[in-house]
Amino acid sequence: MDSEFSLVFFTAFVDLGCGLFIALAINEWYSFSETVKQRGAIATLVALALGGFSSVLHLGHPERIFGALGHPTSGIFIESSMIGITGICVIAYLYALQRNASKQTLKTITLVGAITAAILAFAVGDSYVMGARPAWDTLTLPFVYLASALLMGALAYAALLVEPNALMIQKMKRLVQALVVVQAIAIIAYLVALSSAPYSDASRSASSVLFGGFAMLFWVGIVIIGLVVPFGLVYSQSKNDGAVALSNAPFALGLMCAFVGAAVYRVIMFNLGTTVWQFF
Amino acid sequence: MKKTMVIDLDRCIGCYSCEMACKMENDVALGVYYNKVLTIGPMGTYPDIQQYQLPTICQQCYNPTCVDVCPTGASFKAADGTVMVDKELCIGCKYCMMACPYGARSYNAEQKVVEKCTLCAHLTAVGEKPACVKVCCSKCRFFGDIDDPNSEVAKVLKEAGAENIHSLPDRGNHPSVKYILHRKTAQWQDLPPKETWRTPHQSGKKEEKRHG
Repeated sequence: MDSEFSLVFFTAFVDLGCGLFIALAINEWYSFSETVKQRGAIATLVALALGGFSSVLHLGHPERIFGALGHPTSGIFIESSMIGITGICVIAYLYALQRNASKQTLKTITLVGAITAAILAFAVGDSYVMGARPAWDTLTLPFVYLASALLMGALAYAALLVEPNALMIQKMKRLVQALVVVQAIAIIAYLVALSSAPYSDASRSASSVLFGGFAMLFWVGIVIIGLVVPFGLVYSQSKNDGAVALSNAPFALGLMCAFVGAAVYRVIMFNLGTTVWQFF
Repeated sequence: MKKTMVIDLDRCIGCYSCEMACKMENDVALGVYYNKVLTIGPMGTYPDIQQYQLPTICQQCYNPTCVDVCPTGASFKAADGTVMVDKELCIGCKYCMMACPYGARSYNAEQKVVEKCTLCAHLTAVGEKPACVKVCCSKCRFFGDIDDPNSEVAKVLKEAGAENIHSLPDRGNHPSVKYILHRKTAQWQDLPPKETWRTPHQSGKKEEKRHG
């Protein structure tokens, strides 16, 4: 099928927002940074809003979307409701911060929001798991989405830190590197599943991704820009001392690269999604 | 009750009149199909080659995955077992198009909704047969209730014998449309044959896209 860019950006922005809020929840529970809370919550809201806006662009009749409320088992209902609940948690978190709420209140709000965010990050990928399209019919697909959410969330969190100290930078560096490895493992697992998918066809083969028509997008977009560059940028942090080492600019640059990698993965996924037998 | 279609491929001559009748009856847009006749083959090596025509329509599945994923209930199973689309409820998310293993659904860019073969519900509701059945010059299409042993479709299937009755690949959707093809005519192909001189478009096989 076609690239469906509105859905590419919907899932990428929503995963970014989900990942960032999960990072904020961890920040709240372990009290890493006070200054990142408000700006992180606002950034989460912006990402979710951009994702929601992108999804609306995909619909032919968005004015009829409330019809989805009557069918709670559909993927779109789950995605919409989880975006709504996560968004409410983020707004509640912002309000609680504004009102200087107790630590326990903030922890509770972020815990609920982080759970719905994790479900949402997984659900936006799980919606595509369907037998009609063998390249999508694997649970490794939503795990790639979830892994990209965690990676982008960690990078966004690190990029939003205000004057981070060396210890914080060091922790974030290790976390980001670990999440890059997790993302790489998830993508490899997806390719393995793709190579063993039923009804094999050249249009959706792992070899077309690695060596064929999608190879340029895969190696440049996902591997180099989406994985190697973020890993390298963060790795270079530890090589320097002084002011440069305390900068979180590499995390911001790494976030942009990870976002590009996430978007390219989704573009390839849509193009691999050919049906078992295409009539028309 | 399960209203569906049985198509006798031994009889089909590939005249495409069903395609034309469908487009005329349902006002199907240019480049869009509810019903398309694919050429399967030729397969084999000369002089031992074989080929048959495969008229394709919505397979009116027993377990329609398109209905399962529809967020608004626009796609639904009617009382007679046919899978329908209520265009007034459709939000145009194309999720049902993704869930169909055969790409039998199309997006109506003008109305911004998804549509597909309805087995000419507007005709069958008043006792007529679908347009493609009426127009078929070789009488290879049969329409009726496959669960009724006295229906024409049930009788045709019984006469053909189980070994000559075929269905398209089943991905848990359980297609109800049956094809009759005897081995003496051609070997049934579960998937579009990879080696044929037909273009992918003609044989119902999606062309590989080039990127990068």
